[in-house]
Amino acid sequence: MLRRREILAAGALALAGLGSQRATAADEVVVGVLYALSGASAQNGVDARHAFETALDVINESHDLDLPAAKGAGLEGLGGARIRLVIADHQGDPQKGRAEAERLITQDKVIAIVGAYQSSVSATVSAVCERYGVPFVCADSSSPSLSRRNLKYFFRPAANDEMFSAAMFDFMDGLRKQGKTIDSVSLFYEDTIYGIDSSNVQRKLANERGYRIAADVKYKSNSPSLTAEVQALKSAGADVLLPTCYTNDAILLTKTMGELGYKPKAIIAQAAGFSEKSVYDAVGDKLQGLISRASFSLDLAAKRPSVGIVNAMYRKRADRDLNDNTSRQFTAMLVLADALNRAGSTDGAKLRAALAATDIPGTRTIMPWKKVIFDAGGQNPDATPVLIQYVGTTFVTVFPESAAVAPAIWPMNA
Amino acid sequence: MTGTSLIAAPAISPSLDEADRRFAAKRRRSLYVGALVFAGLAALPYAIRDVYLQNVLVLTLLYAALSQSWNILGGYCGQISLGHALYFGIGAYATSILFVNYGVSPWLGLGFGAVLAASVALAIGWPCFRLGGHYFSIATIVIAEAGLLLVQNWDFVGGAMGVQWPFNPDSWATLQFARDKIPYAHLALGLLVATWLVTFLVAESRWGYGWRAVKDDPAAAQSLGVEVFRSKMAAAAISAFFTAVGGGLYASYVSYIDPESVMSFRFSLLFALPAVLGGVGTLWGALVGAAILIPITEISRSYLGGTGSGIDLIFYGGLVMVVAIARPEGVLSLFKRTRAARNEEV
Repeated sequence: MLRRREILAAGALALAGLGSQRATAADEVVVGVLYALSGASAQNGVDARHAFETALDVINESHDLDLPAAKGAGLEGLGGARIRLVIADHQGDPQKGRAEAERLITQDKVIAIVGAYQSSVSATVSAVCERYGVPFVCADSSSPSLSRRNLKYFFRPAANDEMFSAAMFDFMDGLRKQGKTIDSVSLFYEDTIYGIDSSNVQRKLANERGYRIAADVKYKSNSPSLTAEVQALKSAGADVLLPTCYTNDAILLTKTMGELGYKPKAIIAQAAGFSEKSVYDAVGDKLQGLISRASFSLDLAAKRPSVGIVNAMYRKRADRDLNDNTSRQFTAMLVLADALNRAGSTDGAKLRAALAATDIPGTRTIMPWKKVIFDAGGQNPDATPVLIQYVGTTFVTVFPESAAVAPAIWPMNA
Repeated sequence: MTGTSLIAAPAISPSLDEADRRFAAKRRRSLYVGALVFAGLAALPYAIRDVYLQNVLVLTLLYAALSQSWNILGGYCGQISLGHALYFGIGAYATSILFVNYGVSPWLGLGFGAVLAASVALAIGWPCFRLGGHYFSIATIVIAEAGLLLVQNWDFVGGAMGVQWPFNPDSWATLQFARDKIPYAHLALGLLVATWLVTFLVAESRWGYGWRAVKDDPAAAQSLGVEVFRSKMAAAAISAFFTAVGGGLYASYVSYIDPESVMSFRFSLLFALPAVLGGVGTLWGALVGAAILIPITEISRSYLGGTGSGIDLIFYGGLVMVVAIARPEGVLSLFKRTRAARNEEV
């Protein structure tokens, strides 16, 4: 038992890049991190690890950044204690996520868990956390149903898909007011909790705000071919295509559209795949002018120096820029650190109370949000989403006006 | 083995009484061993204090039971199904939907799911058992995948959103235990004992001999008067019945199901693998296989998976390959050989 723990601790330490600087156990706060590190979305888990290591660097070392827990080494509220991560692999399986969460809580005595990308896994992990009275900070699962379960220990600093989709329609409403013609939209979404949730909200919003739904196409995720689906989209020829898909499908969709000669007039994507660098490496040339909802935009660095500095720190580790997911993961850890400082304790109930009382102004984060607060369901209602447009080889923020750097190029394919 | 010699034996033989007596003694011994092993397994969760290891135990027992259910059709009757995820899903969904949407006790849900799955197995078996060999296996894969797609697109059962069990206080009535793993270990063990007993009883019955005859050579079996088609149907129904009970228990254990997490193809493989690894068509193969496979996959993932290097999966694949090459008849055959060698010496 002891030996296994030691091996595990050593492994976790090596991962956290702390090496010989290991603090004594008393000065350590252990936080569990749960991601899929193998399987179809393994890349996301690997990137997440770099994001959390960057957050740990900010928290554990002293940095002159206007971010929570950045100044001074370690957690001030806990006498300079350092955060140590224990990272576990849930393989995208809700059962494994649940088992790993239990292991982290009972064996590693983690004081909180951050995770878990797949909404289905976040559903079981947060249930375990609720039962053990350990806070779960949901970094990047955006299914709206998660924050509707009245869990006491569930906290999501980032927006959910409902808020994201609302931003998309706000943006289109704005264009309409400027005299642009946007009559119809096509929905294209995968058959998972993520895709269905997203499409349900988009369908509702389209009906409420008077957009005709030209095509409503559900597809099987990770499917080998999307030819039939793309043909349906092409024949519908909507003014705006609203895709909701992960990396592999986003690449396949773009390739198939190219093969079948379908150039949508405009694309507004529900991030995920369309915020992954690998998609733009593969088919970026075909996606010029694509607009994606986002939690994050790098050009915010012009207004807020901390964004550029944190991105540089992340870049050194991951050899890529922060994106929608990694920025949310980084921020989730900082939100947790802020609560730990205020709680002055690692006790589950006290930490929960501190999290619930969170009030961080948006300017003290790397996100374009108004602020970080939590409603009764643990959702941050002020996580204002932005829309970003792919121009050249970078993203430019085009919405809302408060964060926009340039006006949107519309339509994408005239 | 004794069985085939019994059938093949001439009607009257002077050694028949003696063989009968020996056979009965052997059966009694099996039963004693079974009682002992299961009593030990029932006590085991009390000895393991660690919640995580208890979880590994629950999964091991559950997969042993599910693999034993698969073994009835795949091992004894020789009909290799790679679509048992369908029955597992039916059990999981029937139990969850009845409980979450209609407040029906999960115990009734387990029974309903089991009967439903058995009926579906019969409905599938009707056309598919006319297919021979590999064609049957392929058909089962396709049908299970079709089932997955159906459930994913069926809003009544939650579609892709899945079904979340409510947060209820601990109770045997609702099969909900927030932190306590011991009841789940006993539920899984109960299912394992049930499948083991059914296998034990049926294996040496007229049906069991029929199944093995069908497995060895369907044409020869038919010529000897074995009702091949009905044998297969019976095996499929029993197998599906218990697989669905396992699915219902799994749903109550995880408290959240979505189509991918109970009906994906990997479950079909996971039911076959322990039996194949331990010894197909044997009484203990499924448990031995599960006792090796599940702890190794779970523990290697937990303690090596965090590196993100996939070492745990390489390990898992390597293990299956080693057994497949070194012991194609399964781990149990190791013991059989030594015993046979000992008997020869005597």
